[in-house]
Amino acid sequence: MANFMNLILNENMKIYRRIRTWIMLGLIVVIPILVSLIVLLAGGGDDTSSWVMMSLESYFLFMLITVFTVVVASDSVAGEFSQGTIKLLLIRPWSRSTILLSKYIATILFGIGFTIVAFIVTLLVNMALFNSTSTTELSDGLLSGISDWNYIIQVYLLKFVTLILIVTFGFMMSSAFRSSGLAIGLSLALLFAGNLITGLFALANKAWVKYVLFMHLDLSPYIGGGSGPIPNHPTTLGFSLSVLAVYFVIFNLVSWTVFRKRDVAA
Amino acid sequence: MSHAPVVRLQNVTKVIGKRTIIDRVSFEVHPGEVFGFLGPNGSGKTTTIRMIVGLMGMTAGDIHVGDHSVRTEFSDAINQVGAIVENPEMYKYLTGYQNLVHYARMNSSITKERIQEVINLVGLQGRIHDKVKKYSLGMRQRLGVAQAIMHKPKLLVLDEPTNGLDPAGIRELRDYLRRLAQDQGTAVLVSSHLLSEMELMCDRVAILQKGQIIDVRSIKGQAADGQVTQEEVHFDVDHPDAALGILEGQGAGKIVDGMLVLSSDRTGIAAINRRLVEAGINIYGIRVKTKSLEDQFLEMTGSETIG
Repeated sequence: MANFMNLILNENMKIYRRIRTWIMLGLIVVIPILVSLIVLLAGGGDDTSSWVMMSLESYFLFMLITVFTVVVASDSVAGEFSQGTIKLLLIRPWSRSTILLSKYIATILFGIGFTIVAFIVTLLVNMALFNSTSTTELSDGLLSGISDWNYIIQVYLLKFVTLILIVTFGFMMSSAFRSSGLAIGLSLALLFAGNLITGLFALANKAWVKYVLFMHLDLSPYIGGGSGPIPNHPTTLGFSLSVLAVYFVIFNLVSWTVFRKRDVAA
Repeated sequence: MSHAPVVRLQNVTKVIGKRTIIDRVSFEVHPGEVFGFLGPNGSGKTTTIRMIVGLMGMTAGDIHVGDHSVRTEFSDAINQVGAIVENPEMYKYLTGYQNLVHYARMNSSITKERIQEVINLVGLQGRIHDKVKKYSLGMRQRLGVAQAIMHKPKLLVLDEPTNGLDPAGIRELRDYLRRLAQDQGTAVLVSSHLLSEMELMCDRVAILQKGQIIDVRSIKGQAADGQVTQEEVHFDVDHPDAALGILEGQGAGKIVDGMLVLSSDRTGIAAINRRLVEAGINIYGIRVKTKSLEDQFLEMTGSETIG
């Protein structure tokens, strides 16, 4: 529907006409370049694999991209409430669900765009500066015999799944509390405390631990055929994705229900 | 213009928790009419307006814009409505033009030419490509009006539109709304607590108190309603006590600040005047004091506490 595209154009305009967005993009481009240059100048040369550098930088960039996308998601919904612009936005011939959908899509597009930029920048910089032909061991010895390309693409895909989950969570918080501060804070807590909480739950050593969201926020243990993120309870990637899908649906149901039903007062 | 009403509220009720915020409010606004919505703070003006534009749901009753119910056919109903709810809040990091494009994209009928036309209409052509954060409140108000009328709505809803405007701005807005109602037949619904403003702007006003409409009245041409208005008349005379004695039986008169004050209509004034002159009282002046809307309003709503 051509008209619905207009809503996404609007959301895009509200994202990309802000200097903030371009500063974020600048960081995504500049940080890997700087890191690689520093490593190069510090003496890492021929013996440094460009693939190792790329995956290290990508892990860090994903954290940044998640933070940025959560900020954009929170602002997209809660920001409209705090600016008061929501009142003018909702009195148009569109249902609230459609408006929320356009916001969600624009946010995910933002995440995809930044991920692609991160991929290209880290790839080009490290190919240019380091040795890409050596197929020696990858980071942390995690790798069990898959090709470098295969490895790095799996990292990006799995990290992106996590990003979607955390952003959807932020979106829900933003729609439920209408406060971008709270939404951003809680989402970041989910992002950073995830590992800690995973450790705690793992101690419990019970079967139901397998269904806890936190356990599945880092899918990298599956790369190269691992048995999943939970010690003692082997899972498959398919299982993890199914658990995440359930949470994904719940988060979205909450967002949509709250956004559709609640009065816009004050 | 006696067409079908543009907006019709039927027993609209809003209950939040146990409190009834809006209690069976019904009224209609007709094409070409400027309808004022008056009430003290907390009386439910804004809540009612938010229900009309669909920002708040209603507990009971229904609102129709044209033939479409806001409840069940929201898109069709809201398509005929332009509104500014409270302050015209815009995206400050976008230019005025980008803000208008944003809202125009949400409505398929608005062309580029129409956007330009509206910009000229509200007189923003010189500054339209500046960021909104550089606008004064008056300019933001104009931009608010522009986004509200872009799609040529049949109903224009303005919540406290004169808030923060200087006298020139208020006057300009008033003239503009009157023109819009007269020339385009737009129905305009304005809420305010500025009574003198409403008196100048509106054809009819509804007075709202504690969520209930306590009165709906015409402002212009009260006599046309067939009611003979009793007005307060001040007689400036040399012996007010004596004059009061002479007029015994002419209704309750009293003496205020050395003036004889009584209520009467046109013919009554002439008769009283004649009697006083015949009795040898010197009259220095007669003044008819029309009750302003403000006086009437305060009289009706009294000094009741909010709650």
